[in-house]
Amino acid sequence: MKDEKGGPAHCFVHFESDLCTGCGHCIKRCPTKAIRVRNNKAVIRHSLCIGCGECIRICENGAITASTSELDSLHSDKITIALVSPVLYSQFPGVLPKDVLLGLKNMGFTHAVDMSYYFEMFQWATAEYISRNRKTGESPWPLISPVCPVVLRLIVCRFPSLLPHVHPIMRPVALMARDVMSQFKAHYKIEDHDILLYYINPCPSKMGIPKKELGQGGIHSTGALGINDIYAELSRQIKHTEKSDKIPFAQAGFEYEQCTSGGGLLWSMSGGEAEATGLDKTLAVAGLNETITYLEKIELGLFNDIEYIEFRTCREGCIGGALNAVDKYLAKSAALKMAKTLGVGTRLNRERVLRLYDSNWFFPKISPQELKKLGGKKEKTFSFDELRKIEEIVGIIDGKDCGACGSPDCRTFAEDILRGDASPHECVYLKIRGITDENILKKIKS
Amino acid sequence: MPSIQKTFHVTKNDFIHAGEASIHVKNLLKSLNYVPDLVRRVAICGYEAEMNLVMHGGDGELSVDVNADRIIVDVIDHGQGIADVELAMQEGYSTAKDEYREMGFGAGMGLPNIKKNSDEMVITSEQGNGTHVKMVFFNKGLNV
Repeated sequence: MKDEKGGPAHCFVHFESDLCTGCGHCIKRCPTKAIRVRNNKAVIRHSLCIGCGECIRICENGAITASTSELDSLHSDKITIALVSPVLYSQFPGVLPKDVLLGLKNMGFTHAVDMSYYFEMFQWATAEYISRNRKTGESPWPLISPVCPVVLRLIVCRFPSLLPHVHPIMRPVALMARDVMSQFKAHYKIEDHDILLYYINPCPSKMGIPKKELGQGGIHSTGALGINDIYAELSRQIKHTEKSDKIPFAQAGFEYEQCTSGGGLLWSMSGGEAEATGLDKTLAVAGLNETITYLEKIELGLFNDIEYIEFRTCREGCIGGALNAVDKYLAKSAALKMAKTLGVGTRLNRERVLRLYDSNWFFPKISPQELKKLGGKKEKTFSFDELRKIEEIVGIIDGKDCGACGSPDCRTFAEDILRGDASPHECVYLKIRGITDENILKKIKS
Repeated sequence: MPSIQKTFHVTKNDFIHAGEASIHVKNLLKSLNYVPDLVRRVAICGYEAEMNLVMHGGDGELSVDVNADRIIVDVIDHGQGIADVELAMQEGYSTAKDEYREMGFGAGMGLPNIKKNSDEMVITSEQGNGTHVKMVFFNKGLNV
């Protein structure tokens, strides 16, 4: 298997073969079985990658990194805007969000915009959609939160029958990118291509925001920076402040930089989004294995008495993202304290939000089916005949899913043989029993 | 026509592993590229029948026989059997113990739900001799 070259939407991680020892730990962790060890080096099929970051976490040699943007363009003549996930604040215990945003501006960003305003927008629209859905029955229960993009790609890749369950409101980050772009364009009276948006990211999954998802097109460039990419520099820039004066809620206006709230910080943790819906029939699930288990069960028809499920593939939610600089439990403690300091509340004008809702402002111009194109493609499926042969080969191997062959388990190895991607002699179990390539290949041809 | 058969053992009162056989069947159908709606129907029925076995039946097996035209799921247990099959088919009728109801089961919707989601369903049961639920699903929107 060759390391495929993919476009930005399909390239969340980068494998550095010089650092790779071929240990094979990553092949077992990958939830879509996208990684193999070939010639003693790990290689990935980018088309199958959903950007969960598990391989980055497990690699002891630092051979796997997120494909983030370069910071060079910060000092160009363009307007650069940092789109800030509240996860960033949890990385600086005791520092007020406004000082973190100021630190970003000291680093060279023209503006730093907080996301919590858009979380509130999303949360209003969600409550509205759910209350209408109770009457119309347009979407099946439970609705699945669209906020974590890894969950969306996991559904496309492994649970396509659940696509109708995906909550159809645009993700907060997409609402934000679209709105910030149009506001700043109008403010500076410039064109799209003079503005660069950078999403400050806790995980490798949000590398830029696909144009298609924004629905309106015209966004020239959105890049993404991992929190760990900027952490050292940002720490230097942040002016620590002893004062913990409350920040007044700014009204919806241009003063984005003031718009932080405690509510936004809660969103960075598992349960924050579900809590914000204000509904009773919600669940919050965090962790990759936990998410997969729940998706399996929804496919069995369970949980249809729940209205909304928040999924995060990282433990503890986004503060557990693979690109954070601070451990999730320390970050959680810091975020909870800061949320208390800032206070939780809403500041949106409900009527304005409803007007936007009725003008379809919250709805992406793509259908769930089109989500497929946003990443996480399905592996080619097999015919009956091929599947029988795969079962037969798995039976002959009779192995222990050791992974020594470079495939994650015996079944995937058998599939790789059928695809012409692996040879039987790579299996130690077959070798011990003296079963040759010819024995197996004869079975495949029969 | 080539077909694939698989059998999974299901254990009485084992709520920790309950549902795993249905998940295996579901994933087998997915790997064969059946249309999502058919996979969903088989998964729902398989799960209902599997839970019936865990709660009421005895130890038993869930078997699946798949070819391009149809999917047959047989759930056979060696438990006490159903006294009145016709009554058991009615919505809301349940003999589930209180402890199962507390777990959210026993709403009396299992067998009616299977009936609703399968294309053919046959129950054979004899008091003292276990129960056999046979479900057939036809593959109309062929995607294989």
